[in-house]
Amino acid sequence: MSARGTLAELLWAEKYRPRSLREMVNQEEVVKRLQVFVKEKNMPHLLFAGPPGTGKTTAAHALAHDLYGEDYRLYMLELNASDERGIDVIRTKVKEFARSKLPTNVPFKIVLLDEADNMTADAQQALRRLMEMYVDVTRFILIANYPSKIIEPIQSRCAVFRFTQLKKEDVTSRLKWICSNEKVICDDRGLEAVYEVSEGDMRKAINILQAASALGEVNVSNVYKVVGLATPAEVRALLKSALFEGDFLKARENLRKLMVSYGLSGVDIVKQLHREIFSSEVNVPEEMRVEIADYLGEVQFRLVEGADDEIQLSALLAKLVLLGRPLRQQPQVKPAKVK
Amino acid sequence: MSQERRVPWVIKYRPRRIADVVNQEEAKKIFLSWFDSWLRGKPEKKAALLYGPPGSGKTSLVEAVAGEYGLELLEMNASDYRRSSDIERIAAASSRGASLIGARGKIILLDEVEGISVTADLGALDSILNLIKRTAHPVVLIANDPWDPRLRELREVCLLVEFKRLTKTEIRKVLQSICKNEKIDCEDEAIDFIAERAEGDLRSAINDLEALGEGFGRVTYALVRSVLGYRNRELNSFEVVRRILISKYAWQARVAASQTDLAPDELIQWINENVPRQAVDPEDLWRAYESLSKADIYMSRVVKSGSWDLLSYASDMMTAGVALAIRNPQYKFKWVKYGFPERIRMMFKTREVRQIRDDLAKVVAQHLKCSTSVAKSEVIPLLRVIFENNPEYAARLALGLGLSDSMVRYLSEKNGDKIVKRVEELRAELRKTLLESLESSARRGVEKAEAPTKKTPEKKGVKGSGGLEGFFKK
Repeated sequence: MSARGTLAELLWAEKYRPRSLREMVNQEEVVKRLQVFVKEKNMPHLLFAGPPGTGKTTAAHALAHDLYGEDYRLYMLELNASDERGIDVIRTKVKEFARSKLPTNVPFKIVLLDEADNMTADAQQALRRLMEMYVDVTRFILIANYPSKIIEPIQSRCAVFRFTQLKKEDVTSRLKWICSNEKVICDDRGLEAVYEVSEGDMRKAINILQAASALGEVNVSNVYKVVGLATPAEVRALLKSALFEGDFLKARENLRKLMVSYGLSGVDIVKQLHREIFSSEVNVPEEMRVEIADYLGEVQFRLVEGADDEIQLSALLAKLVLLGRPLRQQPQVKPAKVK
Repeated sequence: MSQERRVPWVIKYRPRRIADVVNQEEAKKIFLSWFDSWLRGKPEKKAALLYGPPGSGKTSLVEAVAGEYGLELLEMNASDYRRSSDIERIAAASSRGASLIGARGKIILLDEVEGISVTADLGALDSILNLIKRTAHPVVLIANDPWDPRLRELREVCLLVEFKRLTKTEIRKVLQSICKNEKIDCEDEAIDFIAERAEGDLRSAINDLEALGEGFGRVTYALVRSVLGYRNRELNSFEVVRRILISKYAWQARVAASQTDLAPDELIQWINENVPRQAVDPEDLWRAYESLSKADIYMSRVVKSGSWDLLSYASDMMTAGVALAIRNPQYKFKWVKYGFPERIRMMFKTREVRQIRDDLAKVVAQHLKCSTSVAKSEVIPLLRVIFENNPEYAARLALGLGLSDSMVRYLSEKNGDKIVKRVEELRAELRKTLLESLESSARRGVEKAEAPTKKTPEKKGVKGSGGLEGFFKK
């Protein structure tokens, strides 16, 4: 362990993930109720809801760990519904597992469905049946950012646990503790900056912390440097060519690069653009920032509804080319400071 | 495309010698014996008319003969026949009976003679007949179809040499040897498909192979199917899109759209690709995209709801809607070059990188218990920062996460090799420490010596933790 520890490094978000409910420092209410399930060795189906990075997945694993011990994964099927969201997965993998014989030493098995709000409606219907049929041997834990996207009949079969946004002190004190463990130099303003850019998402915060520490120490300048470097240059280049140069074809080339070689989804790109247009480095009139944000919201909605990434984002580019026209026609407006 | 001038393969692989002309033994025999009669000075007919399907080797044979005998080839083709004066000039040059087999012996080659138009190229036929009468050098005419009534007079003064359609086997052989020479990795089924589709035309087969080999590097059956399949309809698709975009009335656009065999989800890609080329005015472009994005939304609703009736509304928005959105007369009817949907080509070209990236995302997702899309959008960019800026730390992470060499190189082009090397060193070191601890524990007579070996980072990627989970992964 020790040799491996010094030679090989893990992602801190994995390394410092609480293994047991006892180690969880936040979500006290939730943890308390879950510990009751452990004590009684029984639980209903569960639905964990809340923003990203608030401990939902960690709590589910910790719960299973406390129920079954170190080898808890023997009794749990984990699926990420974003990656396996279709009805086939429910009908095959999940069903096979749910109805399989119960090992004698445990009261029930667990199916953990992460990002369950990304499941199709069909798949959710199929899931609902399984939850009823095999409840005596299998319990489900569903995890969702947006519980409203889980169909009503499933919600009503689950005990719902709401995970609240982490407080700033909770996040920064955890980050500080990690830094001292890793013998990394950090200052308070640096840690606050990590909290700001990660929007209360603990996983994101820890990932950014680790990247910043790889640059030397965790201070404000390194944190922002990491975030800047992690934003593909194409995002800004895309804004530049659409808004300030009115060159649709060039902007589309960058768009395709983001989608094809970085593998970003349309929604990812919309979110990055959203962050970008409020950045002080993009020099546009204030009211235009709002106008663009308004349209970004529309595009994201269309994408979530199932529209095509490239066509919707191309429409966005066309909008930017149009909005940017006054910027291009008035030379007195300073051209954007774009790196 | 690269700027350097390169020789097209049809020229590069043109037969240099008579023996290289594939599978036209009959034609070769007749042609060579006619040529031999010229060499001996008394040809029965002064001209030969080579005919047969395109790409069967007619021109190649003449060139090979000229090459092997060291003769100059005086070549004319359809575009030259316009001016009978040009033909006269050649006729004059060739009638001067210089030595036939001298240093400057000649063959006069008239390619594509059926391209002569009786009305437009007035006098051209007479000039050719005249040329044949006066020539002191062999004259070779080439045509696909010799039975064209216009060529009757020419037929009478020429020796007719027929070229057969090449078979698939012969074409395949040539393609295979080109692949070998160009070091192109091409699946057998792909070669079969190209050969089949060429219908005896070797030239077009070589052109297809070149286009695919150059553009994509590796030629697979799936690629050939999709690209050549498209090419068949390509002209058609360009034309259809053009007609849609320049329509002035809604009905025009709808009629144009009805004349394609592209499925709606393909047509929308074609329109998406080409709209910005026609709609240059920002207002037009914006309106056109509003319409196109509505079409796209309607299509997604069709898929979701399964009610195919809705498709016609999607179709209206992508055709008539887009057409009427483009209004600025300055650009509306302007001829611009359209393109094949780039997205499809990009997907092919970047397949390997995407595979590496997706595998990497899976590894990260397993470690962090998140989805691969979170891994791609949130974690991998940060890993990139680390790999680009701190190679030593990156190497330790690569070892801990069990990343493959190609994943490491994906994360940092700059430091890739360095990090890969360092990972090797770390791994060796780790192995050594483990062996030492094994030995010491063996000395202490502790059993379960293999327990620590399970921890060696040699395993590729990340495996499930076994047990039921592993079982259900199947």
